[in-house]
Order: sequence, then C-alpha cells, then structure tokens
Amino acid sequence: MGTLIQINQFSKHYEMGDTIVRALDGLDLSVEEGEFISITGASGSGKSTLMHLLGCLDRPTSGEYWLDGELVSSMTDRQLAVIRNQKIGFVFQTFNLIQRTSALDNVAVPLFYARKTRVNVASMRALERVGLSKRASHAPSELSGGERQRVAIARAIVNEPKIILADEPTGNLDSRTGKQIMGIFHELNRSGVTVILVTHEMSVALQARRVIRMRDGLKYEDRFVDAALTEELTGEGDRAPERSPPPMARPAGV
Amino acid sequence: MALRSLTVHPLRTILATLGVIIGVAAVVAAMAILQGMSARIETGFASMGSNKLFISPNIERRSGRMVGNFESLKLDDAAAIPKECPSVRIVMPQVGNSALVKYFSKNTTASILGTTPEYSEINSHKVGEGEFISQTDVQSGSLVAVLGWKIKRDLFGGRPALDEKIKINGSLGSRTFTVIGVMEEKGNVAFTDVDQQVIIPITTAMDKLWGLKSVNMIMAEAISPADADIEKAKEETKRLLRQRHKIRAGQQDDFQVQAQKEFVQQFATFQTIIGIVLGSIAGISLAVGGIGIMNIMLVAVTERTREIGVRMAMGAQRGDVLWQFLVEASIVSFLGGALGVLVGWGLATTIENLTRVFETITTAWAIGMALAMATSVGIVSGIYPAWKASRLDPVEALRYE
Repeated sequence: MGTLIQINQFSKHYEMGDTIVRALDGLDLSVEEGEFISITGASGSGKSTLMHLLGCLDRPTSGEYWLDGELVSSMTDRQLAVIRNQKIGFVFQTFNLIQRTSALDNVAVPLFYARKTRVNVASMRALERVGLSKRASHAPSELSGGERQRVAIARAIVNEPKIILADEPTGNLDSRTGKQIMGIFHELNRSGVTVILVTHEMSVALQARRVIRMRDGLKYEDRFVDAALTEELTGEGDRAPERSPPPMARPAGV
Repeated sequence: MALRSLTVHPLRTILATLGVIIGVAAVVAAMAILQGMSARIETGFASMGSNKLFISPNIERRSGRMVGNFESLKLDDAAAIPKECPSVRIVMPQVGNSALVKYFSKNTTASILGTTPEYSEINSHKVGEGEFISQTDVQSGSLVAVLGWKIKRDLFGGRPALDEKIKINGSLGSRTFTVIGVMEEKGNVAFTDVDQQVIIPITTAMDKLWGLKSVNMIMAEAISPADADIEKAKEETKRLLRQRHKIRAGQQDDFQVQAQKEFVQQFATFQTIIGIVLGSIAGISLAVGGIGIMNIMLVAVTERTREIGVRMAMGAQRGDVLWQFLVEASIVSFLGGALGVLVGWGLATTIENLTRVFETITTAWAIGMALAMATSVGIVSGIYPAWKASRLDPVEALRYE
C-alpha cells in the first residue's frame, strides 16, 4: 500500500472585493491507499474547498498535490478531466442524477467520457455491486432516496477509480437508509477503494478509521478513531454515533 | 439523451423554433409554387412554337397607364409582310374581344376571334366538323362563324350546330351568324383556352361587329426555328413596317416584333426576382428562428448548470460539453425544419387546391435543402450557448441552485 495522496502546503485564496479570503492556508495531508477517512468541520472551515481540490475540480493557489505518483496541481484542464474520469468517483449529498434517464444510462455517463463503447455491460455490473440491477431501467423520479444514492455510487465506481470522494452522502437520507449507504462504502473500502468522506455530522465521521478535523482553513486534528476520540466527540455531537453493522455480508434488502 | 430539457416544455420549444418552422415552410411552399408555375409556363411556351413572331402595337405602361399608338397596325400590313419579307413564311392578323353569344334561349360568353384562314395552320388547330373560314369569307366579310368545342357544347349540347344561326353582340349591335364549322377539342394553347373561342372572318369583326380600323396583333412564322432565320424575319418585318408607317430614321417604332425567346427571357427574369424576394423572406425568418433557438439553448444551459458541473466531475472535457449542446441545438432546429417542411407542403397543396391554376411540385432536392438550412441555423445559433456551457467552472456549477 503506497501513498496515494500527498499534499504539501495547500493554499486556496479568493479575492472578494477588497479582502482576500483564505479558504485553505498551508495544509499538509498524506493518504495511503485503502484508507477510510472523514474530513469534518463547521461551515467555512475549508472542508468543501479541500474536497474540491482533492477531486481535481479546482487548482490550489499554491502548494503541491501528488496523486498516485503524478503532480496533479500543475496539470491542464484537459488532463484534470481525465484524472477525474479515471481515478476519482464523486458522490454528492443531492445525488445529482440526470432526470428522465434510466439508472443504467446514468451509471454509463463516465464510461462515455472514457470513450468506451460497450457501456451496458460495465454499467450493469456496477449496478449489481450496489444491489440495484433490478431497477436498471427506472428513471430517478421512480426511485427512492436510498436507491438514487446507490445509483450515484454505482456511477462513481463504474470506471473503477482509486478514490471515492463523498460529500455528505447521507445528508438527504433517513437514518436507516443512511446506514445502508454507509455499509456500501465500507464494502467498497474493503475491496481496496480509498474512501474520503466530507461531513459535518459526527456520527457519520466516526465511522471512518481516521478523522481529520478542520477549522479556519487548517486541520487542527488528524488522528485515527479510537475509543477516546469517540468519547470526546460524543460529548460534542448532537447525537450518539450510530455505528454501522460490523463489516460482514451485505445487509439483506439493501 | 440530449432532448430532455426541451421535451419538458414542448410548447416553449415550439415557440422558440417558430422562426425556423416558418422560414422553412415559406421556402418549401414558395419553391413548390415556383416549380409548378415554371413547368406550366414552359409547357405554355413550348406549345407556342419556337419560330413564331408576335407583332403588336408598341404600348408601354407609364405611371400605371397604357400609352402609345393603339392603332398602328393595319390589315394591309398583314397582307404586305409575306409579300415583302422572304424570311416570313405565313402571317395571321387578328382582332378579338369577349362577347355574348346566343342561340335561342341559350347564351354563353365566348372570346370572339376575328382572323384569317391561316389560323388553322399557324395554331395547328383544325375543324372537327364542317369547314373553316375561307379567303372568300374574309374578302366579302361574310357573317359566318366557327365554334370552339366548349361553345358548341354549351349552346347545342349533343344536337348538330352546322347551318344553325347564332347571334353575337358587338359594339355596333347584335349580328346573326351562320355556323359553318366546329373546331376540334384542343385545350390550352399559349395561355388561352381555345375551346372557348368563336372564330369569325377578321373583316366581319372589324367592319360589322366592332367598327375597328386596326388589328390587335399579327402572328407570323419564320421559315425555320433557327435563330438566324428568326432574326432575319424580325429585321425584315421591322424594316417593312417602318417604311409603311413612314417612320423616319431615329424615330421609335410604333410597333413591337417579339419572338418567343424574348418572352422566355422576360419570364426568367421575373422568376429570378420572385426567387430573390422569397429567399429574402425565408432568410429573415430563419435568422429570427436562429435567435429563438439561441434563446432556448441559453435557458437550457442555465437550467442544467448543475448537470454540467456533474458531467465535468465525471470527466467530461470542455469539448464534450460544447459538442453535446451543439448537437442538441442542431437536432431541435432540424426537427423544426422537418415540421416546417410538412407545413410548407400542406400550404402549397392548399394553394393548389384553392386556386386550381396549376400543380405545385415539391422536389426531394427542395426538402433536402430546406432541412440543411434549418440544421445550419441550429448549429450557428447553438455555438454561443454551447461555448458558454463549456466555459462553466465545475466548482461553481456544482454549487448552483
């Protein structure tokens, strides 16, 4: 397992009128392949900015980003699009599926941008991994929230990326469905995919194996989850952390 | 895949493509009508015969009125031309007007043609029954008439018409004529329905029916259809008439000598002008249509900003986004064009059925060209919205509400 992500002195500055907003200020980060990380913090802590930069949707004002051995922070738009297509899979809070399009076609979108031709087979396989092969022909409006997020996850993994970046993936779901979704993330992580979750909910954050807490554009804590951290954060959070079932066979009915 | 946003609001899409639909419909209908007109007119010209000359008084249209010497052509001119012009083979003077023709209680309106026996040969139109007017009839101004096929049918039905007496109303009063013949059925010759005619000797028409001192027109035939012979015939005729009418050098002719070729050229010019006018109208409609399409595409880009951001997150290149929207714009305008073709074809067919003048001809070429124009409009008007879409910042797009 090598170092998948190496970030040195990330800074992201915006000009808003006369002031300069420092969304990120000299952040260092190192992620090994196969990790399960959550990035947490309040609004404005910089966690969204970090996620966008990790996902190669944006470039830092200064600093280096090494992804899987390549210096990504100085790549062209063209090259970044290829990286996003091949190495990264996004999952969003609001699912962001394309309306009036079947689940199968939704999942196939990254395959088109990878210039693949036989898309239905790969698309179906991804849907099977999330347990939705029976709903492949349905459009998003015909699917429940949990099913939609599962289609989104299938879309994120269809090109077999190394990293899944999830932005509040359970934010629009009830707690039961949320648990099912987290179960899928755990399973993907077990199969070797690096999972990076961005959330402001402690209960979700604590399901990772490593928690990075952000404040004012800097990380002020970066440690592995253990009993002490759980107890510390349980006191701060709104509710007791709900641990997903121990990693085992897929829960029935998901 | 690409048309969802547009099928959500079908009415909006149709309104936006209205310009394209109208432009294409106009082009298709106009071309169908023009093609039909041309075909009909070409047939008319062909039936006219290519070695004919038309000699008429020189009348111009000035500020809306006809001015000139209406009475410049005399009957004697017609007699002199074949004698003095070797390139002219045969000559036929004519006068004509419409008049009421009565047989007992039946009456009908016919076009009365006063002419000479040369008519049959020049117009390839012979009697079906009885005889045609003869040289003697013309010399003595006899009150004889040859009926056109439709006139015979309207006045006599199935009964024999020969030797019957009919009355024709002229400005000098009503005269009684004896029917000596009935023409064979012929149809349309050079834009005239010859079956609706009644033919009488020209002298009778001039002296006894209308009191005329001059003829309306003299038709002549050159000795051959060759351009050289037609030119020579024109030259000789002009020279003779100038001499007879005592026109001095430098003065304008008080007559016109036209060959069929000139009519064809005049019509070709007319066609070109009509084509330009219709083309301009169509062009303007299409430009308006293009603006409509650009508009809905811009709206579509805005409405789908989130989606564009997501596609970019999935690995779409800027070129992919641009291409996607360009294709959508082309498809929309192509469909608008297809609808326009249907509307235009319907319009042309309706006009054909309403006016019953001629048939419209819709060619595959016209349809193909109209569709190509529509699609190009889509491509051109789609470029700006597609470019805008491709320039979106992924992070901003993903945040868009």
